[in-house]
Amino acid sequence: MKKFFTFWMISWLVCASIVTYAQQRTVTGKVTDAEGNSMPGVSVVIDQTTQGTVTGPDGVYTLEVPVGSETLVFSFIGYTTQQIAVGNQTTINVTLEEDVTQLQEVVVTAFGVEQQKRSLGYSVQSLDGAEIAKTQQPNLVNALQGQVAGVQITNSGGAPGMSSRILIRGVTSLNPSGDNQPLFVVDGIQIDNSTFESSGTPRGLSNRVADLNPNDIASINVLKGAAATALYGVRAANGAIIITTKKGKSGQLQVNFKSSFGVEEVNHYPEFQQKYGQGFSGEYQPTSFWPSYGAPVEAVQQIEPGYRMYETTKEVMQTGKIYDNYLSVSGGGENSTIFASLSYFDQEGVIPFSDWQRVSAKLSGSVAVSNKFEVQGSMVYSNSGGMRVPHDRIMETLQYWSYSRDPKDYINPDGSQNTYGNTNPLYAARFQTYEDNVDRFIGNINLKYNVSDWLSFNYRIGLDVYSDQREEITPGPLGVANETPLSSTGFIEETRINSRNLTSTFIATVNKDITDRLNATFRVGNDVFDLRRNNIVARGNEFVVPRFYHLSNVTEQLTGQFITERRLIGLYGDLTLNYDDFLFLNITGRNDWSSTLPEENRSFFYSSINLGFVFSDLWEMPAFIDYGKFRASYAEVGKDTDPYQTQLVYTTTDPLNGQVGFTRSNVLGSDQLTPERTSSIEFGLDMTMLENRLGFDLTWYKSNSADQILQVPVSNATGYTRLILNAGELENKGLELVLRGTPVRTADFTWEATLNFTRNRNTVVDIRDGIESIVVGRQFGYVGSSTTMQLIEGDPYGNLYGTSYQRYYPNGTPEGLTELDRDRPIVIGADGFPVRNVNQLIIGNAQPDWIAGLSNTLTYKDFVLSFLIDTRIGVDQFSQYDNFYAAFGQLDYSLDRNAVVVFDGVQSDGSRNDIPVWLGQGIGPDGSNYGASFYRNSFRGVSENFVQDASFVKLRNISLSYNLGQNLISRTPFRSASLTVSANNIILWTPWQSFDPESFSAGAGGNATAFTGLGYPGVSSYFLTLNLSL
Amino acid sequence: MKILYKLTLLVTSFLMITGCNDYLNINDDPNNPTDAPLSGLMARTSFETGDNVQNVGSITSFYVQYLASPNPASSTDVMEPIPYDQTWFELYDVMTDISDMQVLATEEEASHYLGIANILQAINLGLTVDMWGSIPYSEAFFAQSITPPYDDDQQLYSEILSLLNEGITLLSAPNTNDSFEPATDDFIYEGDVSLWIKAANALRARYLLHESETPSFNAQSVLSATDAGFDASEENATVSYFDVQINPWALVAINNEDLLLGGWISEQLIESMDGTTYGYVDPRMPYMFGTTDEGVFIGVENGAGRGDAAEQGDRSYLVEGGYYTSRTSSLEIITFSEQKFIEAEAALRASNPTRAYQAYLDGIESHMQTIGVPQEEILIYLNNPLVAVGSGNLTLDLIFKEKYIALFLNPETYNDARRYDFQYEDMTVAANLNPDLNGNFATRLVYPDSETQRNSGNVPTVTLLDKIWWDQ
Repeated sequence: MKKFFTFWMISWLVCASIVTYAQQRTVTGKVTDAEGNSMPGVSVVIDQTTQGTVTGPDGVYTLEVPVGSETLVFSFIGYTTQQIAVGNQTTINVTLEEDVTQLQEVVVTAFGVEQQKRSLGYSVQSLDGAEIAKTQQPNLVNALQGQVAGVQITNSGGAPGMSSRILIRGVTSLNPSGDNQPLFVVDGIQIDNSTFESSGTPRGLSNRVADLNPNDIASINVLKGAAATALYGVRAANGAIIITTKKGKSGQLQVNFKSSFGVEEVNHYPEFQQKYGQGFSGEYQPTSFWPSYGAPVEAVQQIEPGYRMYETTKEVMQTGKIYDNYLSVSGGGENSTIFASLSYFDQEGVIPFSDWQRVSAKLSGSVAVSNKFEVQGSMVYSNSGGMRVPHDRIMETLQYWSYSRDPKDYINPDGSQNTYGNTNPLYAARFQTYEDNVDRFIGNINLKYNVSDWLSFNYRIGLDVYSDQREEITPGPLGVANETPLSSTGFIEETRINSRNLTSTFIATVNKDITDRLNATFRVGNDVFDLRRNNIVARGNEFVVPRFYHLSNVTEQLTGQFITERRLIGLYGDLTLNYDDFLFLNITGRNDWSSTLPEENRSFFYSSINLGFVFSDLWEMPAFIDYGKFRASYAEVGKDTDPYQTQLVYTTTDPLNGQVGFTRSNVLGSDQLTPERTSSIEFGLDMTMLENRLGFDLTWYKSNSADQILQVPVSNATGYTRLILNAGELENKGLELVLRGTPVRTADFTWEATLNFTRNRNTVVDIRDGIESIVVGRQFGYVGSSTTMQLIEGDPYGNLYGTSYQRYYPNGTPEGLTELDRDRPIVIGADGFPVRNVNQLIIGNAQPDWIAGLSNTLTYKDFVLSFLIDTRIGVDQFSQYDNFYAAFGQLDYSLDRNAVVVFDGVQSDGSRNDIPVWLGQGIGPDGSNYGASFYRNSFRGVSENFVQDASFVKLRNISLSYNLGQNLISRTPFRSASLTVSANNIILWTPWQSFDPESFSAGAGGNATAFTGLGYPGVSSYFLTLNLSL
Repeated sequence: MKILYKLTLLVTSFLMITGCNDYLNINDDPNNPTDAPLSGLMARTSFETGDNVQNVGSITSFYVQYLASPNPASSTDVMEPIPYDQTWFELYDVMTDISDMQVLATEEEASHYLGIANILQAINLGLTVDMWGSIPYSEAFFAQSITPPYDDDQQLYSEILSLLNEGITLLSAPNTNDSFEPATDDFIYEGDVSLWIKAANALRARYLLHESETPSFNAQSVLSATDAGFDASEENATVSYFDVQINPWALVAINNEDLLLGGWISEQLIESMDGTTYGYVDPRMPYMFGTTDEGVFIGVENGAGRGDAAEQGDRSYLVEGGYYTSRTSSLEIITFSEQKFIEAEAALRASNPTRAYQAYLDGIESHMQTIGVPQEEILIYLNNPLVAVGSGNLTLDLIFKEKYIALFLNPETYNDARRYDFQYEDMTVAANLNPDLNGNFATRLVYPDSETQRNSGNVPTVTLLDKIWWDQ
């Protein structure tokens, strides 16, 4: 192709010099790339002629254009061709955008090796910095939402700085506490993406990738399958996210400034009832615990003028604010480049008193010491953290808070809690504090030595250190009269997490043409990974002097410490054979030595093979097909385990009367553990057609993770609750489709669209004999409606078990029934109410049937409109919110509380139910006692009612930008300027009744994603952004 | 030169390989020790044994109608087949640590540690067998098998008694290793060997009495055990609690005050004390639980719930403070008072009503004194002709009636109730009773899910109406 282009350019150059026209005028201008760099060598052709020129070294061109010619065509390989109407203009400056769909697309693969995408036998998908930045997401993980096939990202909630979970090709570990998230690599070194949740009530802490500033990102490459990550070995068994940060470029100095202001609000509320206020049994009781089982508002107003209802939850929620400022400077000379940036991000959440900030500074540079030796380096410092309100407690106490009291009136003049008895939600929000403060440094040095044109060495050493300092305070009594304190004692807890990752990587590369057509690249390398983490907690209970919150001012002090150390050494080789640039064969092998496995099993070897075949280069294709590639791979990856799984230990208890208790650990380690093995097979087809206006990548994969190291639950009579064993296998199968198109392309208007579609199915293939199930998580629901996520052999991951309404089977309920059949009629008891089935049945599954993202970019002259629609379908979740709302009569469906109904269902003999019953509290119209009401007696105790479809269609992001046109910009000192309005996370459709269904209480590191808890409500945000570059 | 080069290569490779191994040898858990000292195991197990008595008591107190749920048809009240996994786990957790203590004490020849360990094991094993019958024991605690087999409950009773006997023998002899002498690490007797011997004898009496409905029952051996038992309430086997680790019943009371409802008193207990059932008032009520805001004692019917009563102030429940529910209240394992009622029953069964009658009166008086009833009120009660019936009129019914009050919250009452076939005056099954019980009281617990799911090949199939071996 390259040769063809060269030929093509030369030929029209020749033509241009020969052919002249009588009537001509001179058009000049400059061609730059998106970052404002001059682009030499760009072809400028008069449309439908062979006349034209190329730009010079400074990007400037001059072209004689005959009158009557209307359009100039600007093209350069790897960039989107632009057509510009000439009109009367004599100066036409053009900015060319990089074309990510181009065939020569270069992707970054394992260990930072840049490879042509066409040469790969596996699926890789990349995003550039602009696609990241435009999402306006402060957390880099969220910026990938809907943009990559095979990748599922879930916000854990809407709090500032709250973690997000990322899965590539599904869950791979049966271990309830196993890590299923991918490896994150920044500029070739592994970085930490742990989420350490608070020990008490959920606070919504950050996943550590949130420390990175998305504005510093140049590109992200997502390595999905085992073949792509085979070289990373054990650490990338769940895929890898390869992040490349921005670098300086040779040429002139560039300054970019971005300033963004945003507001956010709760994006979805449940439908609250506004009729019944405080009290019980329909009676108005002004100091009752019950917020909404009282009398109708009109009735109370008759006896108490001025009585009113507050929409308590909506009253408490505020408009959040987001400020994001970013400044970068880059440049370089002939032999060196430099890039520096500063940023400040500040967010105030929708729950008052919640906030999060991030300051980051980055410096990177490169020096070519000689034409053979180059040194690169990069360092990033960031400080992040904020006030993490106890959202779960706030949202719970909000449910109990009387509808007839102003929830914003939370504090008395003496500083004590304003309450009628129940905990005041806003008082808790303000004073039950939890603040984190994370200092982080990520740095690397990279030495490249090109010994000759066929041999090169590359060594990189990287460091990722952070200290996470947390302070949690719950005040005790303040010492004022008649106060209701938040706690009768109060406490302070100081947490210090110090973590250090060290990565050392060496690669030698040999590249040789073996014959005219056959080229071989061989890499051999070594890497070492070293983690040390020290987590120390000091807690003081019961303050002696009120309002003085210090570890010295307590009656009891407790401490704890947890050290984690892990080391890994790897040796690997990688051979790529390239036959005539259309057939590519890649073989890899790696041996790991892991500190976490028993000494005799610590060394393990695995390998992969993959094939890329660009059949469109070999076979004659129909004219409309530009490119077609078939790829196939088979890979094995070994995996070690967490530290300290090989021993029997004792644990100690807190000192009691001077005595420290010792108890044997409930978990028995094993010195017989062997590495886990994942084998994966993948086939794919990549095609582009219609002059690159339509393209797709289609991938099918199957991946089996066997010999999983699990903490297997066993009979307590063994002396343990769990044994650590190699004990299970999980299979993932799936389909990924990336569909790209340019439905419209005219001179002024283009529309580009990309669809990412993912469908993953998994099966628990095997769990060791004698183990019937593995519980991943369980969440509380009232009176027996607690719901469990558990794994059973033969079933898919993520099944939810709970209580249900009894269903009618004409021949009796089948023996061994495991799954609820919601389509069958409900059995109604002799009392006229549905019969509850307390046997735990499968009532849903928390894995999506499919997810998809559709991104669109519409460009009209200087305006760009882009939007991303993100969809997940077929996800079931347990709504703890709805369970609580049901218990307290809070939602509008409970307005039928005084109705007499006949439940839809059948009696035990199969005949249609015809028994009328009253839904209210106490003595019904028929004189019978209905107790605490249908909703409290029955409805709230049935899990089935609260395991609901949490599918959604979201407008993940929409933005409209105006780029100041060349005519205008040339009158300013700026190279470019743009103004963007955008919005994020708007729910277009969901059957879910509560807040944003994209929420779960376990935090990004947890696997029990089906449980929303009383999570921080999701938010929509709206931004105004200014971009300037000099 | 070449040889030198090769040698260097060889040496560096060797250094690299051994260096690598050293570099990777970091997997010894730095956070947790691999060994436990005897005193650490003693501290843990002696303290947790108290918690276990309370754990089991928090189930049986509903079964014997000391407590009732404020919610209608609560699963404990109505005796649903609840798999009490947590209770089972706590019992096995402690028995596992005691097994380690036995092994270590044997290794160290620390005979007094071994003696106390055996008695603690007997207490925990007794609690478990009495609730579940056959359980894994002989191949338990050391992961010999991941599916441990079950031992017959009658054989386990022999084991309980032989553990107690061995304990008594070991503690009666001088300590064989003076480096290991139990002291403040023992939260029950602070290492007082003579009190442990008395407690072990009281326990022997308790377990021998359980056989009252079996042919092997021998009242004389019960009486000789009580003879070697406690001499006063001060010698009661109780576990101490502290400000930082409060009494679990106090916690129930505090939680209830914070609207996490629990510890509500059953109508059955209150009516048997307030004169409804027996026509005279027992002065112990205010020392055991609270009154309504109006100052009266009102209970909740088991299984019926509190009806229209408010969360607070309308019914009697455990309130913080007092003998059973102060933060630092000790928790009873076995008491002098219980031993006296054991003696009374055994003596009556052995046709020695004089001894039985005195033991009966002593049992009442010692309980009243322990919980703080003033002596004048005690005397009034003990002189009430319906209480002081005279040795000729003493019945098993009266002994069971008084023992029921004196063992408030103690799981031993459920053993009595089963031996007594729940014949307490006016005691009826809970409202909304689990229909599978056909109107009967449950006579055991079903096995926990952890066993039915992880040891299904061994766990016996049982219903709540099956009986423990001694309940005939």
